[in-house]
Amino acid sequence: MTGTLPHREDAASKAIREVLGGDAPARATRGPGGEWYVPVDKSSFERAIPEIAARKFVLISLFCVEGFSPESRHSLLYVLERKGSILVLVRAVAGGQATSVATIFPSAAWPERECRDGFGIGFTGTSDTRRLLLHEPYPKDFHPLDKAFTNAPIVTNDDVPAADEYPFKAMTGEGVYQVAVGPVHAGIIEPGHFRFSVIGETVFNLEIRMFYTHRGIEKLAEGKSTEDCVKVAEAVSGDESVANVTSFCMAVERLSGITVPDRAWYLRTILCELERCCSHLGDEAGMLTDVAFALGSSQFSVLREEVFRKNAELTGSRFLRGMTCIGGVSRDIPRDRLADLAEFVGQLRKRFRVGLSIVLSTPSVIDRFSTTGVVKRELLRPLNITGPVARASGGRVDVRLDHPYGVYDRFVPVHTPIADGDVLARFTVKAQEFLDSLDLIERLIAAIPEGPVQSNEPVRDGYALALVESARGQNLCWVRVKDGRIDRYKVRTASYCNWLAIEHAVPGNIVADFPVINKSMNLSYAGTDM
Amino acid sequence: MSADFVLYCILNTAVVVLISPLFVSLVKKVKAWTQGRQGPSVFQTYYTLAKLLRKETIYSPHASWVSRVAPVACMAAILTASLFVPLVWVTEPYGGIGNIILFLYLLVVARFFMALLGLDAGSAFGGMGSSREMSVSAVIEPTTIVVFAALAFVFKTLNIFDMMAAAVSAGTLKTPILILLAISLFIILIVETSRIPVDNPETHLELTMIHEGMILEQSGKNLALMELSAAIKQTLLMALLINLIVPWGIATTLSAAAILAALVIFLVKGCVLSLVIGTFESSMAKMRFFRLPGLFMMAFFFSTLIVIIEVFA
Repeated sequence: MTGTLPHREDAASKAIREVLGGDAPARATRGPGGEWYVPVDKSSFERAIPEIAARKFVLISLFCVEGFSPESRHSLLYVLERKGSILVLVRAVAGGQATSVATIFPSAAWPERECRDGFGIGFTGTSDTRRLLLHEPYPKDFHPLDKAFTNAPIVTNDDVPAADEYPFKAMTGEGVYQVAVGPVHAGIIEPGHFRFSVIGETVFNLEIRMFYTHRGIEKLAEGKSTEDCVKVAEAVSGDESVANVTSFCMAVERLSGITVPDRAWYLRTILCELERCCSHLGDEAGMLTDVAFALGSSQFSVLREEVFRKNAELTGSRFLRGMTCIGGVSRDIPRDRLADLAEFVGQLRKRFRVGLSIVLSTPSVIDRFSTTGVVKRELLRPLNITGPVARASGGRVDVRLDHPYGVYDRFVPVHTPIADGDVLARFTVKAQEFLDSLDLIERLIAAIPEGPVQSNEPVRDGYALALVESARGQNLCWVRVKDGRIDRYKVRTASYCNWLAIEHAVPGNIVADFPVINKSMNLSYAGTDM
Repeated sequence: MSADFVLYCILNTAVVVLISPLFVSLVKKVKAWTQGRQGPSVFQTYYTLAKLLRKETIYSPHASWVSRVAPVACMAAILTASLFVPLVWVTEPYGGIGNIILFLYLLVVARFFMALLGLDAGSAFGGMGSSREMSVSAVIEPTTIVVFAALAFVFKTLNIFDMMAAAVSAGTLKTPILILLAISLFIILIVETSRIPVDNPETHLELTMIHEGMILEQSGKNLALMELSAAIKQTLLMALLINLIVPWGIATTLSAAAILAALVIFLVKGCVLSLVIGTFESSMAKMRFFRLPGLFMMAFFFSTLIVIIEVFA
């Protein structure tokens, strides 16, 4: 996996040469996905981080890998992205201590706490030493992602003393009171705790707490064969199965050098876009339900159900599971089914437009949506806010454009970013993206080549990074295969990043507007808490 | 108290208790239709109430005697208020019964107990519901007074019985007043029954609730009492609108045939009004909480206009 600096220099290799300097360019290696890996020591890391931040790199992920660097057991991988190029700083951690970068890259705040819970790595200079993944009932020295820990039942302490309870940020002042919501909610919603500090009806501060149903997905994947791990990837988050399984398969294909047949990529892309359609339809319906406009909401929920049924007809699964596999797709979709899908898509577009015109001609809905829950553009880079949420705040980010995979270099999505950042902007962006997805599906069906749908090249050892654009935004996955088995499967969905945006979007709004703001961001609990 | 009046009390209470759940279900049905769903049966509210009455009542560990008393007190206030609004038969009023100001404050008594109930269980959502309900109540009360004042000016009486008797004998009102009065009463109806755009009776989102938030901790018989009293309150306000604006068919004499006919006509008119409520609710989203006074102002303005017309015209 060694390589030389490419002919045309990307932002990452430029940063390696100019910021890290010295022998860094010689030590840099290129991953199969085009990402640059550079091992850095403590001093050059601390010196480089502010400069890399100044170069407008975004920290899109930070995770720990065991046995990656020769010099120490744990290595931290800082994945930084800018303009379609990716730089991975590899920091070998000595003595279980690392330097916190959360003040420079706020998007490191959660991952650092995650590394501490999972591996027992301490971060010096951090302002937040609270637990993240593993709540108080877990034993203090319990770090399950460490290879030394083998899966076995553990004794949890269900009576947590008051001193060890999770401290929420205390908000005091005249008339400030706290409203605690969750983790158990009305309706079929996953667990999450929202601590509102409220003055009258207006939210003054919101703090969220997630990770109530930690499933240990990353640990579960370890030691599995790559084929078995496909099912794990599908189970990360129910309604973004295709995105997560696609990123996993892409990573494995990249590290093994497997070439996926063209027809398989066309089919995969159709599946990805169908998934986006379902998700966006659900969001449009949900936002309208949350402002009590059931008439508009039903237009979209009916369409969503029909897409689900179409999914089941095409693939046997309403959530399009069991199709994507390493090397391609598990079975072909015949020509007549695809023609049928193209016709369905045409009708879908017409009916969606009818629903959309009903909503957009209802002033009471527009009144509720506009200026509600604004996500400021300044937050996009520090928090790595991605997907439709970022695009509704004027961000031009989309993995399909920034890091085209599969056939997205030929089938380019069209975006019209909106800068307002409110619920109305997110509603509009999702409507546009839905229509754009339908266009993409039609164009893909029209151009799909004949041929095999699966490659039977073998899986090899190695590691690779893969990014895909799920309905919610940028999903990342890093896979390392050792002796034919998964050694590390790191997955980070868009929701993991976007959850923190809600803490900034809600203050200043009234409590009763929280549900619609939350729905407009469509954050997945399962996709956050693995 | 005359025998007629005792008979009126029994008849009116029986009718209001029996038909109120029907109108509640009917509004739900209409809303389901507009969404392209079949919706629950029109008898669903009856089934639900019957089910709740058989169920165990659970109290929060923080609940005081208020939680035990309030549902009954609420129901008592609403049932008393129901005597003030003749549904199918108008007889001679007795004592203070029928006084429109007293009617308003009986509804306020019920609301007071409901707000206490919301606070009593110690849950954040109940408190939020109560606080919102009281805010809405403080803003809607002057409006309601002005609307009722307009009624008093139009019919030259403060007694609902006399108003209805006058409406029946005079037939249809002058059109502009009719429209203004109908709109004002309709707004009062929407606000008092916690419907869209003020509140959303169908939501599961505790953070947005007003009325539902207050009764979130209720179960079993207490919940049945709260649900039924809300249904009766809706029927009373509907009856006020129906029997004053379209008064045809109300029985003024005690005869089985006249009362039966009046009942059928009232049912038909009630169903039509439920249809209107359901359609109205479907046609818009819930308003922002702080925009609500704008809606109330409409009723206030129209009623003031009626008063001006009545005084100077």
